[in-house]
Formats: sequence, C-alpha cells, structure tokens
Amino acid sequence: MKFTTITKWELKETLKSRKFLTIFILQISVLFLMLFVFNAFITNIESQEGISITPSLSGFASLSVDDEGRLFSKYINPELITVTHASFDDSMKNLNSGKTMAVVLVPADSLDKIRNIDTIEVKLYLDQADPKRSVVRDEVNNTAKILAITLSNSWIDSLTPQNSTPAVVTEENTGESLPMQIVTKVMLAILLFLPLFLFGNMIIDSVVGEKERKTGEILMAMPINSSDIIIGKSMAVVGVIALQVAIWMGILLITGFEIPNPLLVYLLVIITAVPVIGVTVIIAAYSKNYKEAGIGLTFGYVAIVGILMIPPLIYITNKSLISNISPLTMVIRLFSGDVIPAWHFLIPLGFVIMVSAITYWISIKLFQRDDVVFGPRPGLIRLILEFGGLKRRGG
Amino acid sequence: MVDKIKYPQYKFETILSRNQRRHLEVDDNLMIEIESLSKSFGKIKALDNLNLDIKKGELLGIIGPNGAGKTTAIRITCCILKPDSGDVLVDGMSIHQEQIKIKSMIGYLPEEPNLYERFKARDLLSYFAELYGVPKGEIDSRIEELLELVNMSHRAEDRINTFSKGLRQRVGIARALVHDPQILIFDEPTMGLDPATAHNIREFIRELKGDKTIILCTHYMDEADSLCDRVAILNQGRIMDMGTPQDLKSKIRGDLILNIKVENPCWDVVKGDVVKAIEGFSTVEDVELVDNQYTISLKSKNDIKDIINVFEGNILSVNTKEPTLEDVFINSFKQ
Ligand SMILES: Nc1ncnc2c1ncn2[C@@H]1O[C@H](COP(=O)(O)OP(=O)(O)OP(=O)(O)O)[C@@H](O)[C@H]1O
Ligand SMILES: [Mg+2]
Repeated sequence: MKFTTITKWELKETLKSRKFLTIFILQISVLFLMLFVFNAFITNIESQEGISITPSLSGFASLSVDDEGRLFSKYINPELITVTHASFDDSMKNLNSGKTMAVVLVPADSLDKIRNIDTIEVKLYLDQADPKRSVVRDEVNNTAKILAITLSNSWIDSLTPQNSTPAVVTEENTGESLPMQIVTKVMLAILLFLPLFLFGNMIIDSVVGEKERKTGEILMAMPINSSDIIIGKSMAVVGVIALQVAIWMGILLITGFEIPNPLLVYLLVIITAVPVIGVTVIIAAYSKNYKEAGIGLTFGYVAIVGILMIPPLIYITNKSLISNISPLTMVIRLFSGDVIPAWHFLIPLGFVIMVSAITYWISIKLFQRDDVVFGPRPGLIRLILEFGGLKRRGG
Repeated sequence: MVDKIKYPQYKFETILSRNQRRHLEVDDNLMIEIESLSKSFGKIKALDNLNLDIKKGELLGIIGPNGAGKTTAIRITCCILKPDSGDVLVDGMSIHQEQIKIKSMIGYLPEEPNLYERFKARDLLSYFAELYGVPKGEIDSRIEELLELVNMSHRAEDRINTFSKGLRQRVGIARALVHDPQILIFDEPTMGLDPATAHNIREFIRELKGDKTIILCTHYMDEADSLCDRVAILNQGRIMDMGTPQDLKSKIRGDLILNIKVENPCWDVVKGDVVKAIEGFSTVEDVELVDNQYTISLKSKNDIKDIINVFEGNILSVNTKEPTLEDVFINSFKQ
C-alpha cells in the first residue's frame, strides 16, 4: 500500500503549486464559458422565472399544418415546435420560401375515417436542407402515436358504456425528441466528462518528468514496487479530476441545471477517469520526453473520445445493450430520466475495470523495464512482440 | 573515444564462482558480492563479467575513465538496472530475488542527484523517509538530526529550486541517509563542488566510515587516496586492478618520483644518452621525458645525487614526490 504515500505527496505538492491552481481555476472558467456558449446556442427564454440559463427549446422548429378538424395539431408539443395553420397550398408556399420547415397534411375526411375505423394517412413534407428536420419528423411521429392511442382509448370506452369514467385524454410524456436529446442531455453529459481530458499533462509531467528531470533514478532506488509508483501517481491525478468534477457539478446544479441522481452521475464520471488516466500513463511510461508524450496524448485521447462517444450514439439510434459499456451512455440515460435496471450499471463498470486492469498492467510492465526508463528504449513493435511472448527480451 | 584506446590487460586472480566459494568458506564479512556481472546497452558493453567483493564496514573506491561502467555497476547493485547476466549479493541476498529488502538497506546518492525542485528541503526528506518506511513517529526527529548533520537546518523551509549545487548535494546526502542504511553508495559526490564544500563532504564521508559499508565512485584521485580502504580501477566493464591505495601506488610505480626540469632545450640532442644513463641506475624503474621535464620513478632515494649529476648542472628545477593515485591512474591508461 506504499502507493498511498506517493498519492498523498503528489496531491499535496500539486495543490500547493500556484501554477497548478491558476490552471485549475482557468479550466473551470473555460468550462463556464462553454456553458454560456452552449446556452446562447439554444436560445433561452424561460417564461415565468425570468432569465434562467437552463435551456428552453420553444420555437426550435416550425411546422405548417393543414388540419381542418384541429385533430392533429392539438397534440403537437408547442414547447418544441411552433405550429401555424394554413391551407395546403399556402403551407407549401411557406415551405418553399423557407418560412416553415415542414408541412403536415391531415386529410379532411379524417374524422369520418376514424369513425369507420379506417386508416388515416397523414402526409409530412420536409425541407431536406434543414438540419432540424429530424426533430420535426420525430415530433410528428410521436404525435401520430399519441393520437392513435387516444383514439383507440376513446373507442374502447365507447364500446363499454358501463365504464363510467369519461375518456380522459392522458397526455403521454414521450420525452424530448431524440435529436434534442443530443443537443441537451448529450451536451451536458459531455461537459461533465470534459475534465477527464484536462489533466493528461499532469500525469505526463509526473511520470515523464521523472525521466526528463532525472529524478526517476532515486525513485527507482526506493524499496517500493513499480506498481506503487504508477498507481500512486495515477490516483493523485484521479483525485484532482474528482475535485474538479465535483466543483463543476456544483456549479451546474447551482446554476439550475437538472442533474438527476447527481451522486451516481458523479461516480460514473470518476470511475471513467481511472482508465482514461490508465491510457495516459501508458503513453507517459513509454515516452522519452514531453514532446513524444504530447503527440501520444493527442492520439490516445482521440481514441478515448471515440470509445466514450460512439456507444451513446448507438444507444440513441437503437438502444442496444452493448452501447451501455460507455459510462457516458449511462449518464445520458440518467439525464433523460430513463428507468435503468441496476444490473445495467454492471456493464460500464465491468468495462471500466477491464480497461483499467489492462492499461495499468501495461504501464507497470513498461515502468519495470530499465530499458524503457533509462534507455536504450526498445521499439514499439519489439515491445509488443515481447509482451505477447513472441520474443524474448534481449534475444 | 575512450573505448578505442588499447589498455594493457592485467592478470586476474582466479575468481571462484559463488557456489564454489560457498563450499570453501562462508564469508560473513562480505557485504556486497558482485559476481560475473555483464550488462550491455545495445552494442555498448558497459560491464563485462565484473567481479568485486566489498567487506562489511569497508570503504571501497571505484575509479576509472569515463564510460568504464562505474555508474552501471552501482545502478545494478541498487536494483535500478537489471544485469544481462551475473548476480549481486547484498548481505547474502540476490538482486534477482530480494530487491525491496536490498533497496531498503542502501542509501544511494546518484551521479546526477536531481531532486524534486518544487519541494521544500524538509518536505523532500519526509517524503523519502515515508517511502523508505521510516516509522511515522521517528521521521521528524530523524530529519532534524540529518539537517543538523549536513548543516542545512537554516534552509529547511526553502525550496530545492532556490539551492546552489553544494546545497543540493547536502540535501541529496541527507536524503540518502534518511533511513539510516547499512550501505551507502556515493556516485561522484564531490563533482562540481568548490574545494571547501568538497572538503566538507569528504570529511562527512570520513565520519561515516567504519560504521557503514561505503562505495565511493570518484574521478578525484586524492579523494580516493585519502578516504578509501581499497580502490578498484575499472575499465571497459572489468576490474583492471584493485588494492589499498598504498598497494596500487607501489605496484605500478616506484616509491618515489623525481622530476627534473632541464634548462637548455639543446639537451634534446643528447637526450637519448641521458635517458640511457639514467636507466643504468639500479634504483630507477622508469624514465619519461615530456617537453623539458624528466619524470623518473625510483625504488629508493639512494641514487638521487648521482642521477642529478648526469645533467651536468643544466637544470632548472628538481623536485621529488611520492607517487599519487593520479600517477597510478595516468600510468594505467597510458598507451
Ligand atoms: N542508458 C544507457 N543507454 C545507453 N548507453 C548507456 C546507458 N547507460 C550507460 N551507457 C553506456 O555504458 C557505458 C558505461 O557507462 P557508465 O555510466 O556506467 O560509465 P561511468 O564509468 O559511470 O562513466 P562516468 O565516469 O562518465 O560517469 C558507457 O559507454 C555509456 O555510454
Ligand atoms: Mg558514472
């Protein structure tokens, strides 16, 4: 357990450093700035409470409807889509001139058809050039579903008159449309995960610095294992990340962002820091100097961002179970109020543990090798062959 | 560069392997046994079947040209580098098995004693004391004692990056001593220090002598001469010679060196005759002429007067001196 000594001292000396504190505060300020940019992007006017920086989405998209019976437009979510009523011809003119993004045509004989339990055919015309078109498409589909459910409920009620309760049109909360989730939930989740990528330099400085400043020699002469050094230094950085994410989440909560189950979200972000630092520490253990490490870090982080971001995208499109391996998916699901079975959390947890075990194992193995630390350093391919047991060291 | 020079090969005493020796005698007096140690860095052979024993309480000096493998041998002993083959036994424990135990027995001052610049001197010592596993309750008093010892109490709260080289070296030494190790290994501890600071550090090492087993690597021959019980001369990863400073001095050169500077460069014409004449004396071991100076190694001072007479008064200055380790060193690596 000697690694705790290293963690303690690394943390102590880091938090004492004025340079570090400046950077730390600067990072939070930049995150804060991003929050404002993010809000400006989603024009916010939240009615009653005056100015709030919680994103509101009214008027995000516009829709022109030809719907005589007002049957359809009644169910469209007005928070998201501004609905105008117009004849089909006028609507199409608006669409062509860009005044509206989409046109919905509900046939005039809809009510008759409903009575005869016939299918109604609602037509949607979309401006293909508008990136927000999918929001409208989703909303129209949702509305059609709600309409169908409502109609069938009332039809069932009419068949069973003994049921005295009047057909209440229950509004079903289908949540925001998927693209909107990308904009709000995903953005918010990404903002929370951002601090994981801000401290790569700290671990580089702490590990590569031992080589560049030649302090590594005395550290290697200590009666401790390489694993203590690697894990001790990594945990110090995880600690700093934990601190920043805590401050950051505090700011988000105070400024009115809704973070459901903040403790769970916090834990998900922090456990993700462990393998992220694990990847960074591999790069640091192998690199000869800061320059190399910097290049490695860039590639490493592109890969990590990919691994974190792709599963949520998969989840949004088809909700497959495997997409839960990314803790980001879980956070997004928590944000969107999803009811998550407890065992689903085992998926990202297992993934995080697996990646951590592999990355720290590699880092420790690298750091145990005097040729990697003191040179002459073996090439990458040679190292991989040796790790894979395909080549013997020195052979 | 150094590697290209051809050095004379010295004969080795037969060195028995660890197992053979075990059969013959169990030597409890040995603290460090370096056995057939080899280490290469790519194509460079830094250590070539090195054998060396260090007794308990002994102060062994290692000298040798740049790149001889001194630092490499030390790093392997400290379990920082792994040898390609061979073993080092520290108090009977092998570097292949008992790294942690060995590391905690050794206090090591590296050749480049870089310390964490941001740390205050006292914090740095506490950090390493904790890493060495010094009991919590003893750390503060131990550090106080050490700061006193290296005369750094007044700078204890200053950061390392405000220290001069000499001050850093003192902190480095205190750091190496923080866990009160049985073995101390100093790699060029006085390199780059002013004579007064270097003197202080030498005196400090002298005080530790006897109590601890010490390895001292140095390029300063007078340092090795005055401090060490024995000196090993290392070259190209092998021991060229080893013995007490006195042994080495008398072995390679005579007991006395006579330097004669001649006045008239025209003497060059007959110099061959002069050299021959001097070599004729039975007490003369070696004659060497560089510029206008004759360096003559003598077994005794019996013939000095007669030798001086050979020069027929054409003399600028005469002096005699005992050979130093420096002479031994230069002589060893003369082509
Ligand atoms: N990490 C390394 N990578 C490559 N070569 C090395 C490394 N360490 C040592 N060497 C080589 O091994 C040989 C022995 O080096 P070592 O540092 O042990 O010499 P030294 O006797 O301590 O020299 P000096 O008196 O200059 O300190 C040298 O030729 C050196 O260049
Ligand atoms: Mg050296």
